[in-house]
Formats: sequence, C-alpha cells, structure tokens
Amino acid sequence: MAGLSFDNHQRNQFLSAKGFGSPKATSTGTTIVGVKFEGGVVIAADTRATSGPIVADKNCEKLHRLSPTIWCAGAGTAADTEMVTQLIGSNLELHAMSTERKPRVVTALTMLKQHLFKYQGHIGAYLIVGGVDPTGAHLFSIHAHGSTDIGFYQSLGSGSLAAMAVLESNWKEGLTKEEAMKLCTEAIEAGIWNDLGSGSNVDLCVMEVGKDAQLYRNYLKPNVREAKVKSYKFARGTTAVLKESIYNLVDIEETVVPMEVDTEA
Amino acid sequence: MFLTRSEYDRGVSTFSPEGRLFQVEYSLEAIKLGSTAIGICTSEGIVLGVEKRVSSPMLESSSIEKIVEVDRHIGCAMSGLTADARSMIDHARVSSLTHDLYYDEPVGVESLTQSVCDLALRFGEGASGEKRLMSRPFGVALLIAGFDDQKGPQLYHAEPSGTFYRYDAKAIGSGSEGAQQELQNEYHSSLTLKDAELLTLKILKQVMEEKLDSKNAQLATVTKEKGFQIYNDEATSELIKSLADQDVDEESEQI
Amino acid sequence: MSVTSAVSSDYNSGVSNVPIEHQFNPYSDNGGTVLGIAGEDFAILAGDTRHTTGYSINSRYEPKVFSVGDELLITANGFAADGDALVKRFRNQLKWYHFDHKKNLTIKSAARFIQHLLYGKRFFPYYVHTIIAGLDEEGKGAVYSFDPVGSYEREQCRAGGGAASLIMPFLDNQVNFKNQMDPDSNGTAKKELKYLKLDEVISLVRDAFSSATERHINVGDGLEILIVTKDGVRTEYYPLKKD
Repeated sequence: MAGLSFDNHQRNQFLSAKGFGSPKATSTGTTIVGVKFEGGVVIAADTRATSGPIVADKNCEKLHRLSPTIWCAGAGTAADTEMVTQLIGSNLELHAMSTERKPRVVTALTMLKQHLFKYQGHIGAYLIVGGVDPTGAHLFSIHAHGSTDIGFYQSLGSGSLAAMAVLESNWKEGLTKEEAMKLCTEAIEAGIWNDLGSGSNVDLCVMEVGKDAQLYRNYLKPNVREAKVKSYKFARGTTAVLKESIYNLVDIEETVVPMEVDTEA
Repeated sequence: MFLTRSEYDRGVSTFSPEGRLFQVEYSLEAIKLGSTAIGICTSEGIVLGVEKRVSSPMLESSSIEKIVEVDRHIGCAMSGLTADARSMIDHARVSSLTHDLYYDEPVGVESLTQSVCDLALRFGEGASGEKRLMSRPFGVALLIAGFDDQKGPQLYHAEPSGTFYRYDAKAIGSGSEGAQQELQNEYHSSLTLKDAELLTLKILKQVMEEKLDSKNAQLATVTKEKGFQIYNDEATSELIKSLADQDVDEESEQI
Repeated sequence: MSVTSAVSSDYNSGVSNVPIEHQFNPYSDNGGTVLGIAGEDFAILAGDTRHTTGYSINSRYEPKVFSVGDELLITANGFAADGDALVKRFRNQLKWYHFDHKKNLTIKSAARFIQHLLYGKRFFPYYVHTIIAGLDEEGKGAVYSFDPVGSYEREQCRAGGGAASLIMPFLDNQVNFKNQMDPDSNGTAKKELKYLKLDEVISLVRDAFSSATERHINVGDGLEILIVTKDGVRTEYYPLKKD
C-alpha cells in the first residue's frame, strides 16, 4: 500500500501510557565524516567532547579501531560508541580467527546494526564505518536504531550539516588519497567552526587497499590556546595553615657507653 | 458685568475673542483675597511665613494649617482657597515619594514644582487623552521652598494657571502688593537665615490688620542640614519678641 | 462496554481522549557571558560577542555591553530580545529623566530605576542577568547586578550569563582574594584587600574570557571591554577562539 502507515499509532500511545515512552534520538555534539577515494577510504572526526554546554574533553579520540584495517568514527553517547566498538571489534577478531579470513567491513557493519537494532536505539551510537578488506574499500554509516547507509561520502553528528555542505560542494568522482584527506579535513573544520558541539582538532584515519591503516592523531590543530596574559603562580605561604604538628619519625637516642681505654703505654 | 463678560466666562477652557481664559483669571483673584504668605530664599536656606486669620477668639489657631511639609527637603506655604491645596499637597507628596522610590534620591525642587503645576491644568482634558479631574481651576497659589544638591536652596511660586517662577523672595495673598515692595527694598543676596526670619515677620507685621502674635503667624524653614522645620508657638513668640526689641532699638536710634 | 472507538482491541483500553496541548515558549537562550569589575576610580563591563541559539552561531560580533550616556554601562545577558528591550527602555527613560530633571542620572538612581523596570514584569520576567557599571557620586568605581525580577546589590565584581559559574570563583579568588593568605604571614593571616589597577583588571578579564571560551561552547569569537573613568568611556576589543 502506498503512503505512510499509522498501523502502530494506537499501540505506541498505549505503550507510552504504560511507561514505555518512544525512544529519543540523542546526538551529542560531534562532527564525523568519511570519504572514499581511488583505492581506499578516509574517515575523520573533531576532538571535542561536551556535556551540556560544557566542554568535557578538549582532545578526545572519536576514531575507534574495529580491526587493523577497519576503523570507525563515533558520534552520540560517548560511552555507547566506545563500548559497541570494542564489543564488535572483539567479536570481529574472533570471527576472523574462526573463519581464518580477514575481517570484512560488511561483517562489521552487519554485527553493529544487528546489535544496535536489538537495543532499539537505547544504545546511542551513530557511526561511520570505513575500511579495506579483500573485497576492496568500503564506507558506511549506521544510526543508533540500526539503519545503515552506503555512500562515497558520509557525515554524522551535530556538525554533520556543516560538514555535508562542504562534502556536497567539493566532492568529485575519482579523488586521490591526498584530495580525500583534504576534503575530510575541510569538512571537519566546517563543523569545528560552525557547530558549537564540535571543536578543537582534526583526527584522521586513512585506510588503503593492501596497506596498514594509518591513524593521523591531531592531523590539524587549528585551536591552540594562546598564552594567558597573567601568571597565576601563588607565592609560597598563600595557602592557609590550619594546624601544624610535627612528628619525629626517627627516634634519636643518645647513650653513653663507657669504654675501657688503656691509658698506659 | 453681564454686557462686558458675556458667555466667555462660563466654560473653563473656552478662550474669549481677546484670547483670555476668564476662569483662570478669576482664580488669580481668589488668591488676592487670601491671607498673606511670604517666602525668602537665602544662601543658608529658605524661610516661609504666613498670616493666619484667627476670625474668632473661640478658634483653635493651631487648626489653621497654611505651611505644610511635602518631604524632608521640601515645604510649602499657601494662600487662597486653602481647601484646594489639599489635593495639590497630596499630589506633591506622592510625586516626591514616588521619585524617591524609583530613583533612590530626593526629588529636585523644580521637578516637584513642575509636577504640581501639571496637576493645576487638569481642569480641562489633557492633550493625550488624560481625564478631566476638576470642574474649575485651583483657587490657591503655593510658595514651594526646598533644597536639592543640584541648585541648593530654592523658592518657587506656583499659580493656578499652571505656570511657576523661581524667586529670591515672594509674597502672595491680600497683603502681597505692599509686602513684595518691602521685600524688594530689603532683600539682598547676603541675607542670613536669621535675617530672613525677622524680615518675614517684620513684613507680615506691616501688612497684617491684626497685631502680630504667635497665634496669627507661622514660620517654617528649609535648610540643607535640618530639612523642613515648622516653628512652634514658643519659637515664634521669641522671634516676635526679638523683632519688637529691634524696633525699639531702631526707634531709640532715631531720637 | 463503553468503547466507542471504531477499532476496538486490547490496546486501546487505556487510550485517553485528552486534547493535545500546544504551548508557545516565549523564551530562548542566546548564550554569552558578561563580567563587571569596579576599581578605585574606574569600572569595567565586558562581554563576549558571540550570539547563539542551540548549537548554531547567529553572529560572531553582536555587542551586548552598551554605553548609554551619563558614564553608565549596561548589559542584560540571557535572552537577547529581552536584553535589547530592557536596554532600549532604559535608554528611553534616561532621556526622559534628562528632560524632567535636567541633570545626569547617578549610578545609584539608575540601579533603583532598573529594579522597577525588572519588577514591573514580575510575572513575565525579562529573562536576563543585568549588570550596570559606572562611577558613584564620590568618583569610585561601582558595579550593580540584578536578578531577572529586580533584586539588586552593589558589588566589587560580578560575572553573569552562561559561563558565570566558571568565572565567578576565579574572580572571588583574584579580586576579593578569597582563600588567599598573606604570603609573608606564611599562611596564618588573610591577604589584605586592595583595589586592583586598571591594567591588572583588564588582564584578569582577558584571562577569564579566554578560559571560559576553552570550556563553554556558548562563549567565544570576541571580547569587548568597556571601561569608564572620569575621562569618559573607552572600548577595547580582543579576539577569542572561534571553535
């Protein structure tokens, strides 16, 4: 049947009334992107972590390793992106050992989406998965509810619109590695400057067919803090002395032992 | 009367063809019937003095109130239909208190006078749709004395027409003509507050029909230090006495 | 059975027919932070110039500290529309004050007047943290700060807005020497209060804002400091990080 289906509307209202409210999509501030190029894929992320309006970490790592050649950029709930990545990374390794094959990106993708779907969006992980395997280079994105997308370029997180603006205007077919790295960096920068949830530095990971993945931690640092005007070194004696007690940890005893000295001779 | 004034003295806000508002002019006449009130401004402060018409020996003279406090730093003497002054004084007190509430400072004497004069014009509708408050103009004039940080001691004369002027010394009421002349003769800028007190009493004495005593005259001063202070009967009698002594001195000098 | 629904099932037994309520939310938060410090013969009022809604930057230079005449500085930080409305109303009333009273408005009177502007909207408040700065009648620096409904106090220093909670403890320590002892007393006597010099205060303000920019996403882009002394009002601008 064509059009939207409202079959479950009444059921969902009922569930809400019973305390099973509809899941809320939460995407905490981040910008992550991924771009494919001839013979590989690049993913990138900013390094700001926030809790509300406060910057919790100025230089956190949002690029996670699923396998030596498959990496993943995470947005959303920080703990979820880290845990789901570690879990699937671990299972992927077991799977590779039991199959005696190199892990494939689609395998990682399938394991991730099945896991996330099982948790109905309660695991707030929004991921961009990129990597190379015997079948070539791949780039995907996954939303917390388990849906996945394929594309030559992807962006996710609160800065995804700023990043996508750059990707949409500058992406072209048949990018070189260097071009893809530059495009990723520029897309992340757009997020850093224009999205308040994103900031600080650019992390980059390049995965090339037939080569080890290369992580460029802090590939770009456009936000180095300038020196403070004043020094805030406190002079000795500024801290209040509330009480003072001195313990002798070593007891010094002086005893005089008379010695027989031969006074003759 | 009927022929000369015709209809133009009926409506309060109708000009005559000569451009006069008769009701307002009549209100000024009402003041000329009032008891004399005098104000003198010196560098030390302002003196206000009024004549009280004690029309019967049975009348309690303290019930005649013609000098009142508006705020700590402003006092006011009146002449004319003193009942009309009630609403003016009320308005002045509210204005002063409101200013203090809004700005945490005493209101300026000129501003206060202006706000009283704004009220004086409310016998007609306001330009911006304000309600007409009164059926006729006030029949009373005020001498508003006060001190503020900006201009120091000041004396204002506010009329029912809504105009006001600042004076060094001013007399209003029935004896105002003679009193004003005398003020002009005697006033000089180095007058002390004490001088002004005696001069006020002296002029009142000259223009009053009754013999001056503490029951039929009242004095008040406004100074920076003490604000508004009204004189009790004892203080007034003492001043009258010293005035009499001064007269004796002057007479003896003439001999 | 009183179920009148066309489709009757186990699910709709608890379906309530409460009308859907729509609500208009008249307020929003436009971020930013402001800071006022009084010195012996000067006062400053500073604010960042970033204007935001949510995760978006509306402007990187939108001043929110104003010199309104009579050597008075004012800022109302929070919901920018309310802040602008308050400052506009104050400017208008200041003009009327000049017409009516023919004199300058003192900072003490300005403070009291703003209290009435704010309390006048007690049940639909201006969603702002208001700070004014200037010189008092003795020529000493003065800072007054207000809550959204008009409670006010004269203070030596005050931070307002998003990063107030980040800056205020720093100010307590560096301006009022809280938790600092006199080094010469070796931690036994409180460090004595003293007025800070203008260049010291400007250094503190710059460090306060660059630090707040590091840790608060709504603070950044630029810092504008207005300084009032007996010679008048002066403005200084320093860039802040833009991420």
